[in-house]
Amino acid sequence: MKLLAATNRYYLALVAVLFAAASGALYYGVNAALRHEVDEQLGLHQRKIEVLVQAGQPLVSSLFADQFVVSARPRPLGLVDTILPDPYERTWVPHRQLTFRLHSQGQPKWVTLRKSLVETNDLLAVVLGIMLGVLVTLMLSVLLLNRWLSERLWRQFYHTLAVLRRYDLQQHRPLALPRPRIEEFAELNLAVTHLSERLVADYESLREFTANAAHETQTPLAIMQAQLEQLLQVPALGDDPTAAPLLADLYGATRRLSRLHQALGLLSKIENRQFAEAQPLDLAAVLDEKVDQLAPLLEARELRLHRHVEQAPVQAMHPGLADSLLHNLLYNAIKHNQLGGDITVRLSAEALEISNPGPAIDGNPSRFFERFRKHHAAAESPGLGLSIVQQIGAYYGFAVTYSYAAAGQRHTLRVAFRPAAG
Amino acid sequence: MKLLLIEDEPALRSTLLESLRQGGYVVEVAPDFAQAHEKIRLYRYDCVLLDLTLPGGNGLDLLRTLKTENPAAGVLVLTARDSLEDRVSGLDLGADDYLIKPFHLSELNARLRAIIRRRQFQGQHHIVFRDLLVWPERAEVLVHGEALTLTRKEYDLLLYLLANPGRVLTKEAIAEHLCGDAVDAADSFDFIYTHLKNLRKKLQEKGADNYIRTMYGVGYKLSGE
Repeated sequence: MKLLAATNRYYLALVAVLFAAASGALYYGVNAALRHEVDEQLGLHQRKIEVLVQAGQPLVSSLFADQFVVSARPRPLGLVDTILPDPYERTWVPHRQLTFRLHSQGQPKWVTLRKSLVETNDLLAVVLGIMLGVLVTLMLSVLLLNRWLSERLWRQFYHTLAVLRRYDLQQHRPLALPRPRIEEFAELNLAVTHLSERLVADYESLREFTANAAHETQTPLAIMQAQLEQLLQVPALGDDPTAAPLLADLYGATRRLSRLHQALGLLSKIENRQFAEAQPLDLAAVLDEKVDQLAPLLEARELRLHRHVEQAPVQAMHPGLADSLLHNLLYNAIKHNQLGGDITVRLSAEALEISNPGPAIDGNPSRFFERFRKHHAAAESPGLGLSIVQQIGAYYGFAVTYSYAAAGQRHTLRVAFRPAAG
Repeated sequence: MKLLLIEDEPALRSTLLESLRQGGYVVEVAPDFAQAHEKIRLYRYDCVLLDLTLPGGNGLDLLRTLKTENPAAGVLVLTARDSLEDRVSGLDLGADDYLIKPFHLSELNARLRAIIRRRQFQGQHHIVFRDLLVWPERAEVLVHGEALTLTRKEYDLLLYLLANPGRVLTKEAIAEHLCGDAVDAADSFDFIYTHLKNLRKKLQEKGADNYIRTMYGVGYKLSGE
């Protein structure tokens, strides 16, 4: 529910209650006042008649027989409500009547005065009608006013909201929000702008830290690797058969560390968009090159490779990233394959699809793309391959998806170059 | 064979120096831009190993100087992984090859051999090792004068071993040489074994026995005796 709708709801409820109470009070108040007025008039007439009769005037029946009745028999005295038929309009009309006794020419007479209340009811109807009319008009105009307000005054707020929703930290730009006239919105924009500036600064320092850390680790790693390799050449190593394998393990571990370092460096470079302009690239050629490179691995695992390449799919990419993308996909298909299996690569202008057989993998497929996500916890690879694939995909707006066909027990990774809109 | 090693990191410089001297090269070193610049202008080298990130200047400027002063010298660029663009411009400026740090010393030897071979002998070079005679530009291998038929990967492997005679080559270095920086998991090293076994068998059939030694748990070595 929108804020305006919520306030509207309370506002309208309050207005409705107030108007109902006011209408009730008005009805009873006006009604009582009018009746009182009628009673006073009847009393006035009574005194007038009494004075005239005492002066000796005879009681003559009036032309308005229904308003002035003289009776010789006793009738109940006092003010009372009654309903009388209206012979012309054929309806029953409410009346107020006053009966009193007097002596006219030595005889007791009972006189009844009546006054119609029709006018009173009409007046009440008009008053209440106007009140209800005002109520409805007020409610409608409140609704319209708020709609107008939400379009005009709240526009600033919705603008801020839209900017926030679109905000991408990786563009390294703080939000540039206008300063609206409404104080609350101005404060909101100011606070949000400050927040984004801090975010950008933090992100920037973190990025610099990562880049520096990566650069500074590289040199010690290079020294370690070179010196370990030199150490392996020392003839004295032959004296102790256990020494050389230890060193070799150390060498292997150093190499792994530097690979991990390279992969993380690549990931952070992609995230920081530090790759120069893309250039049109023949992916089929890159694929051939990669397959050629990995041929010894395919051979060792007795894997057959099926290539289905449609006519020259050219993509605009950075050559290094294209290489990395294909390498990681192929390497993944080799690693999670089974002995004597196959790898099927389909490359077209729309998508690159690499599939391989293998048993189902536990876990949520969407998490396969997370960093340091491994099939086996003890696996030697750091589990960054698919994460790199996804980052490269995100960089170029490719959609990377994973699927598993239980029937054929095939894993498929698909990189759609032009994902459907939305 | 005279080399100039331009590298600012002392520990790495001394290790490289030692390794290159063991390989039979005459090596001079320069730790920074100024000294490197001076040496390039004063002396002649067969090949220069150039680190691009140097104190006192840009390695790419040294490369330009070298190309005007001594265009015959080969250049092997040693570069950090994160300077991908430098690498490209280095090759544009006339560098022969590049290696990304950290690299295998055995890979450095192999690349160096290839550059010097291409530069100095215009391809008219052969490698002799014991009873082996190799003509790299023709990809021809002779044992006792008899031709040896090898697959491309086996031939690559043999050349790699020949570039590092007497040196222990780790499994990682061999795997990455054959698969181009591509393999990382230890469980994928089994393919080297197959290639080495085949190469050994072919050498043995021609009477070149016991050339390749297995260093248990470490790797392999081309043995001189």
